[in-house]
Amino acid sequence: MNNEQNMPYKSMMDLMKNRKANAIEKNQVKSHSPEFEALFMEHWPRIYRLLRRLVGDPAEAEDLALETFIRLYQHHPSPDHGFNLGGWLHRVATNLGLRSIRSFKRRERYELVAGKGAFEGAAENRPAEVQAQEEERRQARQVLALMNERQARILVLRYSGLAYKDIARALGLSPTSIGPLLLRAEREFEKRFQALTQEET
Amino acid sequence: MKTHLTDGELRAALDGELDASRLGHLGGCATCRARQTQILTQSQRVAQKLKFLAPTAQDPVPVASIPWNRFAQKLLIKKEISMFKRWFAFPIVRVGVIAVLLLTLVLAIPSTRAMAGQLLNLFRVQQVTVIPVDFTGLEQLTDNSPFGNQLSALISSSMDVTQEPGDPQSAADADQASQLAGFAVRAPGGMTPSQIYVTNAAAFTLTIDRNKAQALLDEAGRSDLVLPDAIDGAEISVDIPASVSVAYGTCPKPEADTSKSDHDQIPGRRYPDCVILAEIPSPSVDAPADVDVSQLAQIGLEFTGMSAEEAAEFTNSVDWTSTLVVPIPRNAATYEQVAVDGVTGTLIQRPADEAPQYALIWVKNGIIYTISGLGANSQQAIEMANSLP
Repeated sequence: MNNEQNMPYKSMMDLMKNRKANAIEKNQVKSHSPEFEALFMEHWPRIYRLLRRLVGDPAEAEDLALETFIRLYQHHPSPDHGFNLGGWLHRVATNLGLRSIRSFKRRERYELVAGKGAFEGAAENRPAEVQAQEEERRQARQVLALMNERQARILVLRYSGLAYKDIARALGLSPTSIGPLLLRAEREFEKRFQALTQEET
Repeated sequence: MKTHLTDGELRAALDGELDASRLGHLGGCATCRARQTQILTQSQRVAQKLKFLAPTAQDPVPVASIPWNRFAQKLLIKKEISMFKRWFAFPIVRVGVIAVLLLTLVLAIPSTRAMAGQLLNLFRVQQVTVIPVDFTGLEQLTDNSPFGNQLSALISSSMDVTQEPGDPQSAADADQASQLAGFAVRAPGGMTPSQIYVTNAAAFTLTIDRNKAQALLDEAGRSDLVLPDAIDGAEISVDIPASVSVAYGTCPKPEADTSKSDHDQIPGRRYPDCVILAEIPSPSVDAPADVDVSQLAQIGLEFTGMSAEEAAEFTNSVDWTSTLVVPIPRNAATYEQVAVDGVTGTLIQRPADEAPQYALIWVKNGIIYTISGLGANSQQAIEMANSLP
């Protein structure tokens, strides 16, 4: 291509480089209210940690946490109608995390990343112990991915530390139903875990 | 009658979540305590396997200001992609196969080379340039808005489709596709296509009603943009030849009616290995000589939100006689020039942190080629282009 033909491309590249930077800056100011930013700052650590634990990969956890807040932004919740923000965020984040670990290829990648991180962060442990621990996590994630979504969700919410009333609010259930549902989910988890380990051995 | 606790209640009691009124029974009932011990054993085994889910205060968390900035950028990209897709699904697209490019094609007629009073047939695509457009500013064009409905009505009443493309036809191989399409289809050797489709030729004539178009601009709050009187009544004829799409991997079936597609669905997640090679001879445009292309181009660009200076700079930098101008979402895509198939092509890509997509476009011997993929591996598009016979 001669110089003359290159001109439109080059001039537009320069032009748009500047425009893009300006647009992003402008958008950050205009798209979000201070209230939403405050809400983001308040809930971000909890949602990120939940996802970090669930999927194992920090980068994926960050993406999923961002997606959770984008959905919140698009959902336009109204606090006046009994909207339970914390529960909603936990439910959406859990759903996104479970959907993510259902992808086999992604799960393989998580395990590589998570395994490497655990090894580097636990120097005092013997590698065999670390490997066994990571293997168990891999299997647990795989079982969660295989379970029906409702049961997997209740396990994730409970074992990530939510009280029954918070789980009930997040899932729109009665607090007294959580015990029976959790018990059934645990039985199903154990059954599938045993089947998986037998299959792999 | 003595009512034993259910297994669910016993499980809740292990977590200290059982109602106090029911808890009293547990202390005096050996049967319930024995069952609870069994439940406890099982719960402990599960807890051992799932304890990694419990976050701790020591878990590292990115400083919130960094993801907050990413959040703002992601939101912008999502909005822009959504608008981009809605724009391409706008009713006018249903009328002509690439009618969104109509504006580009119309704008491509150079008045300087026109002869007064004659219809000309000058436009032939020889090269491609990309223009990033802020689609987030075009929300008023969505088909649900009053403005969008009026624009749609104006175009429908102004457009006379003289040849409908109909539904795409399936072809068994490149030879059959060549026969159906009327030009020699090129396909890379050693690769087996999953689908080959031929879209028949289409043609339409657009008669411009300057006053109605200006009224729409005024209604959109852009009365500062004044359409030239000379375009009133101008008839612009567009002929779009038959095109061929050669798909590799698992790809969506071609949709003649783009309005049926889900605007916000990201196809890359469903078709990660899909690659489509499309080929189409250059469309041709007949238009009156006194249509000032540069002026219309500038108005169109300013309407998207570009400043008058920027629009003028771009308009003046493009050789409108031979350049196909492809709009891309400004914040959601990047582009670069690449050497392919012995010519210079343009590679357009979506950021890797969104569902990745790419499109390679180039022109050779009067045929426009595109290779688009729904994954991140844009290099395979370049390799495929270079392997064409």
